[in-house]
Amino acid sequence: MNIELSDEAEEYGRQARRALGSAGGDRLAQQAEADPHARGALVDPVFEALGAWELDPRAGSEELEAGAALCRSAGWWALAYPVAERLCRPRDLDVDGLVVIGPGPPAAPVGGLRMAWAAVSLDGWRAVCAASPLRGPVRKSGYVVGLEVGSFERGGQGDVALGLVLPCWTLLGMLDRAMSLTRAHIAAREQFGQPLAAFQGVQFQLTDAEVERLGFEALATHALWSIEAGRADAVDDALALRLAAIEAADTVFRVCHQLHGAIGFCDETTLSWVSRASVPLRRLPLNLAGTGAALTRRLGRRGLSGLFGPNDEPSPTLPALRPERR
Amino acid sequence: MAVPDRDLAEFRSTVGDWCRANVPKDWRRAQAGAPEEQFVAFQKAWFQELRQVGWAVPHWPAEWGGGMSVAEQIVLYQELAANDAPRLVLAFVAIHHAASTLLVAGTDEQRRCHLPAILDGELWVQGFSEPDAGSDLASLRTTGRREGDVFVVNGQKLWSSGAAHADWCLLLVRTDPGAPKREGISYFLMDMRTPGIDVRPIRNANGESHFCEMFLDDVVIPVSGLVGPEHGGWRVAQETLSAERGMTMLELSERLGRAGFTWLLEACRVRGPSGDRLLDDPVVADRLAAFEIEVAGLRSLCRRVVERHEAGASAPAEASIAKLLYSELLQRVMDFATEVVGLEAHTQLTKPLSSGWESGAWMLDYIGSYEWTIPGGTSEIQRTIIGERGLGLPREPAAR
Repeated sequence: MNIELSDEAEEYGRQARRALGSAGGDRLAQQAEADPHARGALVDPVFEALGAWELDPRAGSEELEAGAALCRSAGWWALAYPVAERLCRPRDLDVDGLVVIGPGPPAAPVGGLRMAWAAVSLDGWRAVCAASPLRGPVRKSGYVVGLEVGSFERGGQGDVALGLVLPCWTLLGMLDRAMSLTRAHIAAREQFGQPLAAFQGVQFQLTDAEVERLGFEALATHALWSIEAGRADAVDDALALRLAAIEAADTVFRVCHQLHGAIGFCDETTLSWVSRASVPLRRLPLNLAGTGAALTRRLGRRGLSGLFGPNDEPSPTLPALRPERR
Repeated sequence: MAVPDRDLAEFRSTVGDWCRANVPKDWRRAQAGAPEEQFVAFQKAWFQELRQVGWAVPHWPAEWGGGMSVAEQIVLYQELAANDAPRLVLAFVAIHHAASTLLVAGTDEQRRCHLPAILDGELWVQGFSEPDAGSDLASLRTTGRREGDVFVVNGQKLWSSGAAHADWCLLLVRTDPGAPKREGISYFLMDMRTPGIDVRPIRNANGESHFCEMFLDDVVIPVSGLVGPEHGGWRVAQETLSAERGMTMLELSERLGRAGFTWLLEACRVRGPSGDRLLDDPVVADRLAAFEIEVAGLRSLCRRVVERHEAGASAPAEASIAKLLYSELLQRVMDFATEVVGLEAHTQLTKPLSSGWESGAWMLDYIGSYEWTIPGGTSEIQRTIIGERGLGLPREPAAR
């Protein structure tokens, strides 16, 4: 089995990153914050040109992987737009996107977009919902709004893993960026007559963060493969990914902020924007403890089967995506 | 000075009674999202209330209005925290950094001029860091050129908390560019009304603007503003920085233990829509218990630091250990609070000004806590101090 993204998906991701860069790059998040209701219009032409909304991650591995790569590129620019959530839209409902909701009051970072959404609970109950209006400055709310949820129906079992995994790819893009920014910062910033990067204590912090990021990346590809392969434990894999993603994000942003020093808390630095944009993804639909608890409840004492476990045949209960390449 | 236990118990109940009668009941609500002027007015009024009972500057010598024993100061800070009294955040630099600098290195005239003024509400800011001089403070480049009885100062200062409201500034300036970097620095008291000072607030990740940058353009400071000898400012600055350790850490640890952590427990006791309490979740209970142990350890450590300092028996790296432990523990506790309080933490978008680093607006507290491992010596600097001075390890080879 090959859990790497296909070359085509990687190339699509690179193109998306370039296109978003040409359309404004880091300024896109700043413009969206200045006028939150225009955040859709800012990026619509780029996604149009990329054919983003023609992608159907449920149609097969190629489109799923392309979707993941697109999310990662959106994360790189801390794009104030729910790319992953839109890619997850169920084909059988008349909605623009899908969000996974936790046991608490339903909420998601989808404010100010005038779109219809579907919400799916962890056990696969699904409902059409509407986003409440934005309240307060988005620099503090992170575009998170409550969701007015209609009546729940069964049928969302196939949505849960996808709805958990793609936003993790957005978060992965943010971690990629935070690491890249910090690497550049410590190479350029001099104290005590030498670049910060020359201090071993600084190097080790960044390498610890990189180990976290790489572990997260490996699990992200694994969880994607698990969906592609239609595995019964795709949701378990997705929750395990989410757990690792939150832990990695905690470490990476802690280290990146620390190595940037006070300037990293100011909007003059890109890190400040990326780290702020990461917060809703890390907290919703389930925080670290909630994700751990959900995973524990599902797994009991069974453990994850992983790549080489005994349970890695396609599930009879979930429709397998066309696993052409795998 | 030993204070009998019975007297301490009596003092504790005096402070407690006073707090219950005098801490404004609704100050948190009034200070949440309050405009800047209201915050300043409230801080100044609260300072005067504490001053009247002799608790605004308990750590100062008796002749200047303080004179409280260390044992009593510990009780005072414990009770102020336990009764959720507002913190003296605006006067912090004045009563700690400015005062300790003046007491140790100032002239009699400087002390007579400023210590009573601080009691009357004079506010101070610290002008130390610069864009290229953070951890490596001694590489600062703001210049001071002597012209007869005055110095003409040019440069830029950064992260000057409270500069927008300050009356005076503790300023480090390079006055001898040819000397080795620690030997060419002078320490000044700068009147913030002097022409040529441009203060610009910097908005941080929380949306607050408490720290500022200061541009100094041909600012004229009289020679009488020098603290310590000309070019001898680096040693004076060590006095200023040492004020950040010791009792201020004790106060912060008491705030964390008796205020912040207590509210976190309260938040975990609230019954949710399904009737469950977070406390009943064994995972939550476990984490809380682990934090309780760490907070207790931190409080004991801070207490030991101030008691040993008073006894003249300070261990070389204890203060650094306390700061490192506090700042990293604060971040972890705030992170956990944001986790367990959940979505509600994200909807609390105004933090009560005048509160401690933990205010109960958990999301903002969490973001704010990340600042803590940077100022007053980053965690990297603290670890270097612990390694070199505490453990006697060799100096970092490249650090000059």
